[in-house]
Amino acid sequence: MTSDTDRRTAEERFREVFAHLGAVTAYARRRGSRDADEIAAETMSIAWRRFADVPRDDPLPWLYATARNLLLAERRAGSRTAGAGASEPSVPAPELHELDPQLDRALRTLTHTDRELLLLVAWEDLSPAQAARALGVQPTAVRVRLLRARRRLRAALDEERRPAPLVQIDVEGT
Amino acid sequence: MTDQTLNRLRAANPYRASTAAETSRLFDRIVSTPPDRRLERAPRQYRRPVLVLVAAVVACGLLASAAYAVAGWIGGHIITGPTVQSEYTAAQKQLTLPPGYAWPPLNWPSNSVTSRGAGGSFAVSLDQDAWECYWVDAIDSGDAAAQRRAKTALDDLMTNNIVTAPAGAPEDYTPPQAAQRPTLAFADDGGYQYKQRMYAQAADGNPRLLEQSCRANGPASHG
Repeated sequence: MTSDTDRRTAEERFREVFAHLGAVTAYARRRGSRDADEIAAETMSIAWRRFADVPRDDPLPWLYATARNLLLAERRAGSRTAGAGASEPSVPAPELHELDPQLDRALRTLTHTDRELLLLVAWEDLSPAQAARALGVQPTAVRVRLLRARRRLRAALDEERRPAPLVQIDVEGT
Repeated sequence: MTDQTLNRLRAANPYRASTAAETSRLFDRIVSTPPDRRLERAPRQYRRPVLVLVAAVVACGLLASAAYAVAGWIGGHIITGPTVQSEYTAAQKQLTLPPGYAWPPLNWPSNSVTSRGAGGSFAVSLDQDAWECYWVDAIDSGDAAAQRRAKTALDDLMTNNIVTAPAGAPEDYTPPQAAQRPTLAFADDGGYQYKQRMYAQAADGNPRLLEQSCRANGPASHG
C-alpha cells in the first residue's frame, strides 16, 4: 500500500466484509462463546491482516471458519482453566441452556462436523456449498453428509419422544 | 431442507437478532493497523518493468554476441580444427618443400577456433622456414645451385604467398587472396622488410641473419 488511494480502496473493500460483524457475533454466541463480541472483533482483525485470503465474492464462510477456530481456542483455554481432560470436541457445541434439552441431546448424538454442518444451514442460513467452504469439506460430499445428519437427528429425536419402558415387577410366592 | 426436523432446529435458534455494538469504533481501530502486506502491489508493479528492462538488456547482449559468432560461422570467418587441417593439406599441394624435407603433422584441437586461411598460413610459414634452412645447408656445403634454388623459392613465396597486413588490421586479419592460395600475413611492423633484407644479405654472402632465423624457426635438426 504505497498511496492513500490504495489504502482507501482496501478499506472500502474491507467495509463490505466488516458488514458481516453482526452475523459473526451471532454465530459465536450460538456456539456458546463466553465473549462473542471479542471473538467477532478478533475475526475481523484477522480478516484485515489476511485480507488477500478473504474471498471477495462471498466472505461469510471464511469468516465463520475463522471464528470457529477462535472458538476452539477459547474452549481449549477454558478447559485448561477448569482442569478438563483432553476429550474436548473439535467443533464447539451449542450453548446448552439455550436449547430445548431434547434437541440438545439429539444434536449431541451427531459427529461434531455433521452437527456443525446442520447448524450452519439451519441457524446461519448458509447454502450447502457455503457450509462446505466454511468447514473445508468437499462440496460434492456435503449434500450426502447433510442428508445423513438430518436423518440421524430425526432418529435421535424420535428416540427422545419414545416413552420409557414399564418395569414389570414379579411377585412370587403368594 | 424443509422437513419437520430442520424446521424444529431453525425454530430453536437461540439468537435470531445479530447486533454488534461499537461497530464504527471497531472498524476504525482495525483499519488503523497495518493491512495484509500481500496487498502491496504498487511497488511490485514498479519493480517489474525495471526487472524486465534489465532482463531484456542482458538478453539482447547475449543474442548479439551469439549472432556475431553464428554470423562468423556461417559467413566462413571462423573455422574449427577439421577445417584448419583440410586447409593445411590443400596448401601442401600448392607449395613445394626443399628436397629432403617433409610436411610435419598438424595437431590442431578439433574444438579450437581460428580465422579462415590459418591452415594455409601455417603451411607457408613452415615452407619458408624449410627453404631458409635448406639455403643455410647449401651455403655450408658450397652447393651454389641449391643456394640459387632456395633464393628463387623464397622470393616466390615472398611475392605470391606472403603479404603485409594493412596498418591497424585486426589480429585475425585474413588476406583476400587466402581464398585462392595459401597466404601468410605479416604484421605491419617491418617483418616483411626484415626478411627481404635477410635474403639479400645471404645472397651477397652474409648469411648471419639467415642462419639465426633457421636456428630459431627451422626443424629441430638445425637448432
